Amino acid sequence: MLSFTIRKLIYSILIIFGVMSIIFFVMNLLPDPARMMQGQRADLSTQNAIRHELGLDLPVWERYAAFLKKTATGDLGRSFSSNRPVMESILERLPATIVLTLSAMFIATILGVGIGILSAIKSYSLWDNISMIFALVGISVPSFVFGLLMIIAFGAWLQIFPISGYVIQDGSSWYQFWNYHWEYLALPMLTLALRPISIIARVTRSSMLDVLSSDYVRTAKAKGLSAKAVIFRHALRNALNPVVTTISAWLAALLTGAFFIEYIFNWPGIGSLAFEAIPRSDFPTIQGTVFFAALIFVIINFLVDILYAKLDPKVKIQ
Amino acid sequence: MTTTPIPTMEEMLKEKPRSLWYYSWKRLKRNRLAMAGLVVTFLIILVAAFASFLAPFDPNLQVLEYATKPSGFKGNVILRTNELQGREPIPVPIQSFTIQGDQIIMITDEGNTRKLALSKLAGSSESDWHKEPNYYLGTDRYGRDVFSRLMYGARVSLTVAFFSELLSIVIGVLLGALAGFYRGWVDDILMWFTNVVWSIPPILLVIAISIALGLGFVQTVIAIGITGWVDMARIVRGQFFSLRETEYVEATCALGFSNMRAIFKHVLPNATGPIIVIATAGFATAIIYEASLSFIGLGVQPPTSTWGQMIYDGYGFIAAGSNWGLTIYPALAIMLAVFAFNLFGDGLRDALDPKLKR
Repeated sequence: MLSFTIRKLIYSILIIFGVMSIIFFVMNLLPDPARMMQGQRADLSTQNAIRHELGLDLPVWERYAAFLKKTATGDLGRSFSSNRPVMESILERLPATIVLTLSAMFIATILGVGIGILSAIKSYSLWDNISMIFALVGISVPSFVFGLLMIIAFGAWLQIFPISGYVIQDGSSWYQFWNYHWEYLALPMLTLALRPISIIARVTRSSMLDVLSSDYVRTAKAKGLSAKAVIFRHALRNALNPVVTTISAWLAALLTGAFFIEYIFNWPGIGSLAFEAIPRSDFPTIQGTVFFAALIFVIINFLVDILYAKLDPKVKIQ
Repeated sequence: MTTTPIPTMEEMLKEKPRSLWYYSWKRLKRNRLAMAGLVVTFLIILVAAFASFLAPFDPNLQVLEYATKPSGFKGNVILRTNELQGREPIPVPIQSFTIQGDQIIMITDEGNTRKLALSKLAGSSESDWHKEPNYYLGTDRYGRDVFSRLMYGARVSLTVAFFSELLSIVIGVLLGALAGFYRGWVDDILMWFTNVVWSIPPILLVIAISIALGLGFVQTVIAIGITGWVDMARIVRGQFFSLRETEYVEATCALGFSNMRAIFKHVLPNATGPIIVIATAGFATAIIYEASLSFIGLGVQPPTSTWGQMIYDGYGFIAAGSNWGLTIYPALAIMLAVFAFNLFGDGLRDALDPKLKR
């Protein structure tokens, strides 16, 4: 177990190293930041001064080494527009992203598994067909499109929920948020949950169908167990394996993939931070948020792998 | 599912042996939802290809007097010739007109009276220069026809998705094939690289690359294409892992043929099914990425109309509580295109792999 964990850990670190390298070289292709900050008419000496300050006059390999060293110690540089350390802004926005993601994942798990089980039990019925078509619609709708439709339906037309995002005022806390402003969470949460609901429902359904046609379920039925006992005690337990895989994969994907939704609903998370940085050409912030998102993704996958190995000894051998 | 009588041995022997594709197509044809998806996809492709014939308006024709009109709005315009040679005639919105001698007197949309020589009109008969065009889905804030812009938007969506998916297929198949065929350290390095790309949120990678490459059609295709190959590489690698062990590949190697021949002539054709399934899913995702990019102002640039841009333009009207159609129509277009394609893709997966029941 220990050697498995260490191997996985080293691999995760290698992945993070790769992520850093890709981010650095993509960012290296970007237009000259000194030019972007000063505009087209900036005089050459100011531009050169900025380049020197940012270390852009050094050769690529030196900059790459410096970037790796800084990023590895948690220093993501300073924002071009606010001059704050990027890490500080990210950590400030992190709670909002976590709240949004976890609540969306919670809803998605309950609804997705529920719909999936019902569809499998009543397979090829009207309910099954309708819910599977809806699941496919859920997969087909881009998140920002669904978000806007939600805004139109519930925010602008029915006026049940606020359209625009929650804004952290000075001195307000998450405690206040839960007590007074939870309704800001409703629309972005539902929007974010749509895709995982659909996918979890589809996976649960097909996995349940597989299990329901297996021998041990037939035996359980044959010995006269009630339908409820067969489904919950025998079938569901065995059907949940791929479902758990899907859910854990989606948790990682959601934490890093809520960007569009945060942007549309003006939700003060990491995604909004990244999107606000794009029109400002604030490269350190873009770079920092991309790296941070990938880091979370790798960490969650690492933890899930370890958890799996603990639960299922077969995994370790592979 | 319809029940067919089980054929006897004699009947089975009489039947001509057919290819996998024949049976897959037969299975696909029985799947009504998948066929519906295929038909809709085909219609969207037709609309995109023949947009210039089908669209009632030039998608970039601005009639500022007709800005943000509701769906079903009927215009009333006089067409006058454009002084610039070879340009389309200019529409002048009017309330009514009368003809006096060689002049036409118009009451314009704002209620002013304007005179114009008859010779300045486009065409000779009234049906030529007096039109009452239908704006089926209304107009945007520059008075452009939303319906026509949607049709031209399909063009951008489909072509960007097609070429970027093509790029993804090439990269994914190549890396997956090399990793799965050679295994060992080649596999380790290629899979490490695949996992690295997989770890970066795809939409952010697409955005970063398209900022780096600049805006435009080719840049957008590249940005989406070099991000979306991860699933393809994994599936192809998995296929190669198992197909490599088969006797016919062993035979190819034993006969002394090159590895490239084994890869491309013997293994790859047998992996076509899964490749097609992943490619259809990737195509649908590419449509979504294209729309997302143009929604945030990257991607293919104005005045070319794209669905994402149209949604962004309409987005500003939502809070004002009017012109929801400007957001809803392009949103529905994207949903319809991706949904139809996914329906087809789902059916295709079932048809190509009969072992997998839905």
